[in-house]
Amino acid sequence: MAWNDRILGIVTLLYLFLFFIHILYFALRKEQIMKFMWVTLYVTLGLHTLGLLLRWVESYKLGLGHAPLSNFYESLIVYGWSVSIILIVMKRHLSFPIITLIASLISLFLMGYASLSPSVQRHIQPLIPALQSNWLHIHVITCFMAYASFVISFIAGLLYLVTWKGIIPPRDTLDEINYRSIIVGFPLLSAGILTGAVWAHYAWGSYWSWDPKETWSLITWIIYALYLHARLVKGWKGKKIALVSILGFLSVIFTYFGVNFILSGLHSYAT
Amino acid sequence: MSVIKNKFEGADKGSSQGLSHSIYSFLASIRFTVLLLSMIAVGSIFGTVIKQGGSAEEYLSLYSENTYRLITLLGLDDAYHSLWFYGLIMLFVVNLSLCTMGRFSRFIKDSKRRPHLPDERTLLDMEMHFEMDFKAQDEMNYPAASHEVSKAGQNRENLLGTNSEVWTRGAIMRSLEGTYRCVYKETEGAVLEKGSLSRYGVFVIHASIILILTGGFAGTMLGYKGYMVLRKGESKDQALIRGAQEKAQPLGFALKCKDFKVTFYPGGEPKDYVSTVEVIDNGRVVLEKKIRVNDPLSYKGIHVYQASYGKTPTFLFNIDGENVTLKEQDTYSKGDLLLMVVRFENTVHNFGPGVLIAYLDNGEPKTSWFLRDVERLRGKQLQGVNIRLEEIKEDLYTGLEISRDPGVWIVWTGFAMILFGLYINFFMYHRKIYVRKGSKGIIVAGTALKGRDAFKQEFAKIKGNLNGMER
Ligand code: HEM
Repeated sequence: MAWNDRILGIVTLLYLFLFFIHILYFALRKEQIMKFMWVTLYVTLGLHTLGLLLRWVESYKLGLGHAPLSNFYESLIVYGWSVSIILIVMKRHLSFPIITLIASLISLFLMGYASLSPSVQRHIQPLIPALQSNWLHIHVITCFMAYASFVISFIAGLLYLVTWKGIIPPRDTLDEINYRSIIVGFPLLSAGILTGAVWAHYAWGSYWSWDPKETWSLITWIIYALYLHARLVKGWKGKKIALVSILGFLSVIFTYFGVNFILSGLHSYAT
Repeated sequence: MSVIKNKFEGADKGSSQGLSHSIYSFLASIRFTVLLLSMIAVGSIFGTVIKQGGSAEEYLSLYSENTYRLITLLGLDDAYHSLWFYGLIMLFVVNLSLCTMGRFSRFIKDSKRRPHLPDERTLLDMEMHFEMDFKAQDEMNYPAASHEVSKAGQNRENLLGTNSEVWTRGAIMRSLEGTYRCVYKETEGAVLEKGSLSRYGVFVIHASIILILTGGFAGTMLGYKGYMVLRKGESKDQALIRGAQEKAQPLGFALKCKDFKVTFYPGGEPKDYVSTVEVIDNGRVVLEKKIRVNDPLSYKGIHVYQASYGKTPTFLFNIDGENVTLKEQDTYSKGDLLLMVVRFENTVHNFGPGVLIAYLDNGEPKTSWFLRDVERLRGKQLQGVNIRLEEIKEDLYTGLEISRDPGVWIVWTGFAMILFGLYINFFMYHRKIYVRKGSKGIIVAGTALKGRDAFKQEFAKIKGNLNGMER
């Protein structure tokens, strides 16, 4: 087994461990436990990054030489990695264990799905000519950072609909976290769509061709634009706006998974 | 009808102001935006679940006849180019333009007003404020400090008041100087701000959306997309535009394919497609370039992309002792024989590659297979002429995508602007700090519309720094 696989395996276990740390916190309610959780998250992110880098190095050894951003397996791993980065970027706003708990579960799901699902190709594949572009890196990274921010928005939106004293943060805080994560995600998604368009222009001769993945990312973008306007201009608050953010995330999921499995298009993750 | 109840929007009082006004305010309203964007999103979904640009047979194999009729009636077989989709986008442009222009003119009017320094009461009512008691200053500090103030103060301050007051205000102003800009000053105090650029964010974002759509529109009106297939050595000066009826589009210059190569990874997957192409303008070779996927050729506003490749077979026949090279669809005649190469098959019933020849047998059309690997079927006599298939060669040809899009630079500008706009809107904060002489000391107060929590922290830090200086 290659080193990158081994390390990414450990990283997967660490996400499970993070989940248990949260459970321990809810059992004992000691603030030190959450401090320990953040430290573990930093370590996990470090190893996760190392795993990705080693996979990159490994691809050079195989004579294929490309960043680990090219197939469905790699995109799942990068998605999990992006969720951790966004957690750390937004740390100041996320001092609520329930949010980091759900986020670590989502990372665990992404990593576990990547390494266990029989339908996911795990070996390093060669890069088809259309993907051999520097735009690949910036496009994929901005998109997944955006998707990761929307994970937080989704969690905040869902929790808004639930009441559970002592576990769920106050509603105003959830609303604020939701907005904050969309403020991070929306510009990133815009950058992702735009870099994708520039890349498509250089690879195919057309910056926009209404391919299903492009179209769904536009739909996602429109939903979050509606969120921003409903909140800022129409002054929507509460449940209604939480539902818009949940709808936005469903659209993210469809853009990422649904398009691959249900619709077909130019994008290489489609199998 | 009273359309708008929102204090942020232009015309507030719907019903009393006549029909044209309420139509205007509806067209400029966020309610209309929500409606339009939702319809655009739903319309786009149709385009991703219904096959686009298929043939009638394809649709009829998927849907019933009635559904198919509905699909064509609504233009859902080409949703993104249907009338209703263009209509929605046009309405959206109108909506966005009216709304943004209305807001912008109000914004300009507002910003022309002199900034004003609120009175003591108002400042003390602000959520973020503190007072610095200048009477409590340590007398010992003045001589050194007042020297500094007079230096720094020449263009900034012409304050009246006691030494200690001057000193305190000077110190406050100086401590804010690096990050804040003084926009207004009077004897009683001053207004400082930072991040005022962020107020332009919304306008930049909205304007760039219009710009991007304009660029896209310019591209569809003034540009084209076509393709060209070139065999090695071949040159052409026009592209073909796809459609029910293919149209030729002259380029104004010719492209000649000097070479085409495909390389593969060890596992057999394609690694690189490279066409070496010459641009011939006015009979002269002006440019030579290796076109790869992701690395197009650009000449006179026309872009040439590596899109696909394929193989065309050529057949070497020996016809009555003469070597003849023929391609598919070629015809050839010799004596009584008139033949045409109909088609090539890689394997004919497991017997290897073969080519189908059509010929006239006493005026009647007949066909006959020539198989390269079956000796008995390799040579034949047709109409008394001996024909033998000597060899089949497969030449690679390159498929180039050709496009001209004069709008693309407008679109790129829009992209850059929208990212800049998003950045200044979301990551710069407009913050104001008021410094005013009050009855007990100097009042420092701050306001911010967005990012209040972050501003609270910054404000606390400012306060801490100033208190540190006091000691
Ligand atoms: C897809 C299209 C649009 C996008 C991406 C967009 C983007 C934005 C963004 C990012 C903001 C800032 C939100 C915030 O700071 O939280 C904003 C604000 C705003 N937008 Fe749009 N917008 C779009 C269409 C429209 C349209 C069509 C209208 C007008 C009818 C409109 C009216 C406004 C208004 C009034 C604000 C509030 C400005 C403020 O008070 O600061 N937007 N828009």
